[in-house]
Amino acid sequence: MSNFEYLGRVTIGQYLPIDSFLHRLDTRARLLFFFCLLAAITLAAHPAGLFLGLVVALVCLVIAHIPLKFALRGLLPPLPFLLVLAVIQVFLARDSSHSVILFQFGPVILTNTGLWAGAALLIRFAGLILGLSLASFCLSTSQIIHGLDSLLKPFARIGFPSRDLIMVMQVTLRFLPLLALSAERIAKSQAARGAEWGIGHGSLLQRARQIIPLIVPLFLTSLHRAENLALAMDARAYGSSSRPTSMVEMHFQAVDGLAVGLGFIITGVILVV
Amino acid sequence: MGILIEVDNLNYRHPNSEPGMLSALRGINLRIAEGEYVALIGANGSGKTTLARHLNALLRPTSGSVRIGDLDTQNPRNYAAIRAMVGMVFQSPEDQIIATTVEEDVAFGPENLGIAPQEIRERVNTALQNTGMSEFRLRPPHQLSAGQVQRLALAGILAMRPRCIIFDEPTAMLDPVGRKDVQALLSQLHKEGITILYITHFMEEAVRAERVVVLCQGQVALDGSPAQVFNDAPSLNKSGLERPPAAVLADVLRPQIPQLAGNILTVEELTQSLLACPIPSGRILEQPPVEDEQPTPLIKVHDLGYTYLKGTPFAERALTGASLRVDEQRSHGLIGATGSGKSTLLQHLNGLIRPQEGTVRVGPYDLNDPKIELKTVCQLVGMSFQIPETQFFEQYVGDEIAFGPRQMGIKAAGLVQQVRQAMEMVGLDFEDYKDRLVFTLSGGEKRKVALASVLALHPRILALDEPLAGLDPLSRRDLLENLREWQSSGVTMVVSSHYMEDLVELVGVVTVLKNGKDVISGALAKVFSRRDELEEAGLEAPLVTQVAASMLKSGWALPRGLVRQDELVRAVAELVKAGVHE
Repeated sequence: MSNFEYLGRVTIGQYLPIDSFLHRLDTRARLLFFFCLLAAITLAAHPAGLFLGLVVALVCLVIAHIPLKFALRGLLPPLPFLLVLAVIQVFLARDSSHSVILFQFGPVILTNTGLWAGAALLIRFAGLILGLSLASFCLSTSQIIHGLDSLLKPFARIGFPSRDLIMVMQVTLRFLPLLALSAERIAKSQAARGAEWGIGHGSLLQRARQIIPLIVPLFLTSLHRAENLALAMDARAYGSSSRPTSMVEMHFQAVDGLAVGLGFIITGVILVV
Repeated sequence: MGILIEVDNLNYRHPNSEPGMLSALRGINLRIAEGEYVALIGANGSGKTTLARHLNALLRPTSGSVRIGDLDTQNPRNYAAIRAMVGMVFQSPEDQIIATTVEEDVAFGPENLGIAPQEIRERVNTALQNTGMSEFRLRPPHQLSAGQVQRLALAGILAMRPRCIIFDEPTAMLDPVGRKDVQALLSQLHKEGITILYITHFMEEAVRAERVVVLCQGQVALDGSPAQVFNDAPSLNKSGLERPPAAVLADVLRPQIPQLAGNILTVEELTQSLLACPIPSGRILEQPPVEDEQPTPLIKVHDLGYTYLKGTPFAERALTGASLRVDEQRSHGLIGATGSGKSTLLQHLNGLIRPQEGTVRVGPYDLNDPKIELKTVCQLVGMSFQIPETQFFEQYVGDEIAFGPRQMGIKAAGLVQQVRQAMEMVGLDFEDYKDRLVFTLSGGEKRKVALASVLALHPRILALDEPLAGLDPLSRRDLLENLREWQSSGVTMVVSSHYMEDLVELVGVVTVLKNGKDVISGALAKVFSRRDELEEAGLEAPLVTQVAASMLKSGWALPRGLVRQDELVRAVAELVKAGVHE
């Protein structure tokens, strides 16, 4: 890859347009279900609950027709970090009252609670990573936006600016690749005039210093772009109707309700076990 | 038909303009009737965009009034109705795309107007169909080509079903085929009864309107039919504009062919009128082309392949085995449709992008060798990007130009000397300009500063990506003159451009790129005579070649391969002279 590719062409998330039961569910139901699952895995205290969460994530991946091999590959990059964290956890987490010493070598003490804590950390992160990738495989950015828009609508009645908030999110997502593209252009035009840029050598401080001349022009072009975008939004009548509509219509059906209900139950079980 | 737009004595000052400055718009009076097709032209900074933004209430008059279908733009309650009535396609289309997928972006306007979901869906479908974008409906906008983004911007406006559409220089960055498509869309919309206000720097596009309005320093300088406006050459020149190229060509041919009609404005009119003229029976002895000494190769690119984001799901193949040979002192043109790989190829020439497949050799440097540093190569090859003024990073003109020499460790008097020299080369006065803020300069001046900042390193080779795009006719002419001066001082250029007319003034050899590969390469005459292949590559021969081809067809014994105006005039003169002798 070249020194100057700042991911300007990358989409955020990895939506896979598969026609599965999960993909056909109402966007809001999916959002709620994934939210419940991820919250439960994050908060679950007991290893059994954690394990159940991991299993649910795996089952959902199968239901969504996502090749398990493909999904599990997402675990590989963070694995070394997780292992280091787990090992630290093993030796640091000691609940002195109940722990049984399994092994002792000088200051190194291995207890059963330590082992459990290490395992729990691994399972928790595996579950979270799989759950997050599941969500990104099943929800496109535009679905997330429309789903949240619809879910937050009730709050608009009490004066919560939900539509503007969603708009901010949408524009941010739209702007990120453009920002990367501008950065790429400015870096290239500096490098073309002799600035040492993106080349492997140089200390960390030197490299950090290279970023500074990039930041000011990047701000200027972004402000300029933002101004243009604001004009374009104005010209397309943004904010001129008190009741804007949406092209995407969502229909919440019994099966969606069931899915959300199931999500709540699973959350409950994971947290209580 | 009724009047749709009424502008009365409109004055506008930018909110934070300095007291001494002229107002951006001064005393404008304008009536545009429903269904009219109006072209709005003027030099960079003449107020075209500012006027256009008054017509859909993005800006409000400082004094005077603007009424759209009887609604005053001063009243905020009218905004929604006015914006539903007057849509606007902006200058840089990528900045006006809001949503994360194509179809949702098209739906944005109708959603804001509060239209029912089913009808939005239907409007979006029609708009996508009319602009030929249906197959990309679910794509994220940053994965579209420049031409597609332009069409998406138009689709977003069409879905609002406006009565009038304002286009602000929509073709500045498009290739010849893309420009033709936009023209076809415009006539289609016009036929459907939509009022069109078209802002452009291209006189040959303005000619196609029913009415032309010329702005000069914030005032209406001319307003009338294309014939009225474009036959008033003195006033046009005063406004920084020119007559359309076909009219200019007719003017220079007329001394030789007095029978040529007097009011020619378009290519069609020119070829039509030529048909009616008597054809001299003379013949020119075709001289074999003079082969001078073998040129030395300066740049050699062989079988170059390049993929952006290689090895990721977003990989995008930009070059597929492109080859290029540029000889010492023989400036070279690169042409091809948008997305054909011109920019990627150019960026290989100074080492910004290193070859993934194939080889690049520039002067003494082998760019496949990672030990050759960018800093070394860029002293030999200067590179200017598309719209370089968007990449300025210093506040003052002097600092911007000094950036390159400073990187090379040049200081004090030497630095001043180098900056002064670079500024003189582009025709900017050192004392007058060095302490000006870059963003206060005009479009043409900014472009000159950008080029001076590249020249400050004294490169022997210049890689220029669309050096003249977006400039008004006089700035173009001015800069073209500069570029030719540098050439005669020994600089070899590699220029990519969508404008064949500019290219024939600068280079003698061109390479045509198509889908990341070179398809034709050689002398201008040879390349431009292959019409079918050019068209396939999304290109068009220059005006002179087109006219010469149609003359040849109707019996003029012209030599083949004419590309420049003076060549055609000389050949015609010889023919006419020979005809008289017979």
